[in-house]
Amino acid sequence: MTRINRDAVIAIFLLLVCGVFFWASFDIRQPDYGTLKPSTWPRVILVVLALLSLIYLVQSLARGPEPAHEDISDRPHGLHGRLSHWRNVLWCFGLFVLYLSTMPILGMLIGGICFVFLLLCALGGWQPRQLALHAVIAGVAVGGMWSVFTYGLGVILPTGVIFSAF
Amino acid sequence: MVIDNILLAVAEIANVKTLALMMVGVAAGLISGAIPGFTIAMAVVLTLPFTFGMPPAQGLATMVSVLVGGLSGGLMSGILTGIPGTPSSVATTFDGFPLARSGEPGFALGLGVWSSFCGGIISAFMLVMFAPRLSRIGLEFQPWDYFMLVMFALTVTASLSGRNLIKGLIAGALGLLVRTVGEDEAIGMARFNFGNDTLLQGFDFIAVLIGLFAFSQLLSDVRDPEAARRSLAERERIQARIEHWRAIKAIVKRWTTVIRSALIGVFTGILPGAGGSIANILAYDQARKASKQPDSFGTGNPEGVIAPESSNNAVEGGALITMMALGIPGDVTTAIMLGALLIHDVVPSPSFISDEPVLAYSIFIAFFLANFIMLGMQSFMLRIFVLVTRIRMYMLAAVILGFSTIGVFAINNVEFDIWTLLWFGILGFFMRQFGFPLAPMILGVVLGNIAELNLSRAFAISDDVTLFFTRPWALFFLIVALFSAVFPLFQNARAEGKKWVRFYAPTLLAAIAVPLWMMGGTVRPGLSLICAGFAAYLIYKARQSVVEA
Repeated sequence: MTRINRDAVIAIFLLLVCGVFFWASFDIRQPDYGTLKPSTWPRVILVVLALLSLIYLVQSLARGPEPAHEDISDRPHGLHGRLSHWRNVLWCFGLFVLYLSTMPILGMLIGGICFVFLLLCALGGWQPRQLALHAVIAGVAVGGMWSVFTYGLGVILPTGVIFSAF
Repeated sequence: MVIDNILLAVAEIANVKTLALMMVGVAAGLISGAIPGFTIAMAVVLTLPFTFGMPPAQGLATMVSVLVGGLSGGLMSGILTGIPGTPSSVATTFDGFPLARSGEPGFALGLGVWSSFCGGIISAFMLVMFAPRLSRIGLEFQPWDYFMLVMFALTVTASLSGRNLIKGLIAGALGLLVRTVGEDEAIGMARFNFGNDTLLQGFDFIAVLIGLFAFSQLLSDVRDPEAARRSLAERERIQARIEHWRAIKAIVKRWTTVIRSALIGVFTGILPGAGGSIANILAYDQARKASKQPDSFGTGNPEGVIAPESSNNAVEGGALITMMALGIPGDVTTAIMLGALLIHDVVPSPSFISDEPVLAYSIFIAFFLANFIMLGMQSFMLRIFVLVTRIRMYMLAAVILGFSTIGVFAINNVEFDIWTLLWFGILGFFMRQFGFPLAPMILGVVLGNIAELNLSRAFAISDDVTLFFTRPWALFFLIVALFSAVFPLFQNARAEGKKWVRFYAPTLLAAIAVPLWMMGGTVRPGLSLICAGFAAYLIYKARQSVVEA
């Protein structure tokens, strides 16, 4: 039986992160002036973080394959199970990445309305009545917020290629 | 001089625009506090982008209002639906909900509203009295002491905010590490940018905070598709009218509970990391122990509403004392407030009150006023709350996610900040899923620069490392940090009935007697002798009980 559990995997991942950052700390330029070298403080943190991660790893391995306090019966099984379990979260991540990637083209107003509308539909449903309600919510909420920041607070938000054409 | 500063502060706050913003802030706080899953910290952090264009006093007054409103908002859903709006109002539901169920929702709400008001006002008085005094002590701190104070704040937050101390400490260290990315503050050398020029500016810490706290919370709220489509008031129709006079009479009759609970709240708030979620349970427990009818608790005892509501509103007064006097945030919400000060180029430190007296007094006045505004707005907001409870969770989450992007972009007008929001939102979500507390990480992010700057200053003065252990205040914070790190072990051992736990408190007292003695003067060596004497007595008693056992 494997002794690796989820916590042990996280601890190993943290140790790897510490390793990468410690290696990257050698790229920090060391000037002749200044009393505390720019790499000293990050290295202190990394040593502490590595030690803590090591203790975490030992704790996790000592506890055995699965944490006793967790009920694993309701955990999703298989790829389909996992996808449906994390469906909403994946929608949020995916649509957010799409929103950010298309921002230079759509701008914050059009992109924001589209993002909120699509997210509302993805999380709430795609029936015609809901579509209309979601469109109104997205338009009013993002449009209102955009107006507050643009006209009220004087913030220049990204206009995007489409919007700036008008 | 003090009068001049107060008058100037009144002029900053008592104008139509600021008062209107404070009312909006209280209303927003009340609503966000009332919605389960939406924390007060989330409301405060989302208010931050709106305050950029405001003068510092106005911006901070708005944020203080959100904070005060949020602390009181939790009681509405807790009493009327049995679901606490925030962790700070968990204990309110124990008696508030049964009281409402027994046909007295208006009385229960009245008790909650007026107890919250009393708790807030008592803590506001404590804030005004103690913050300037504590800041005078803070002026004694040298870089070594200040560095150890930051370490203490991180350790105590890690030990109090989660079940696993190691996870809390890892979160704190991660927060410190995140803050090192980009050019270092002292001499501007590039660190951990991995060849990417955008990373030279580092992660904007407001984007990090919104991502870690708000974004990840929203993802957690909509994770379950069924729960995401549910609204709070689906089960029953909510209808109530606050009974003010009856509640006031009941509270006046139980004034000792109000004062005791408020003091518990203030003290808990002063401790870094211990917030309203701990204070309301502690106050409830103490009220039950002090009651002549402890068995009636849980069935609708008015004291069961008064105690937690007085304490959770008093917490922020205590947290603001630590923030304003020492520049160390008492909890996540004050960490965000500290961030707001930094945005307005005000560096929180022990000299904050003497350097920025008008701003400091503006915060005091705003805290007072916000409590009165909260009281006046509760009845009106109750109607809005009833409407909000009909909105489905996924709608709120989607709209707030959309708003977060606009708010985060507005900080620096940089698109990279929105990516920061996304990455830290994902990180925060996984940290929540894997049981890592977010509070130590947020404190690490906020305090990282302060720690490094003081470390740098300390080495600029002297390269003697022993000063971190031999200076009285540094030693004091080191001792308290070590004991707070052992605190979770102490709690477990006490539950298992281990004998060594009897020596924990006396050993702590004996240990802190040493730096107190080293501080010199008259009062502190006197305190040191009292601590040492009391420690000796406790050790004697503990030894006796061990021998008898």
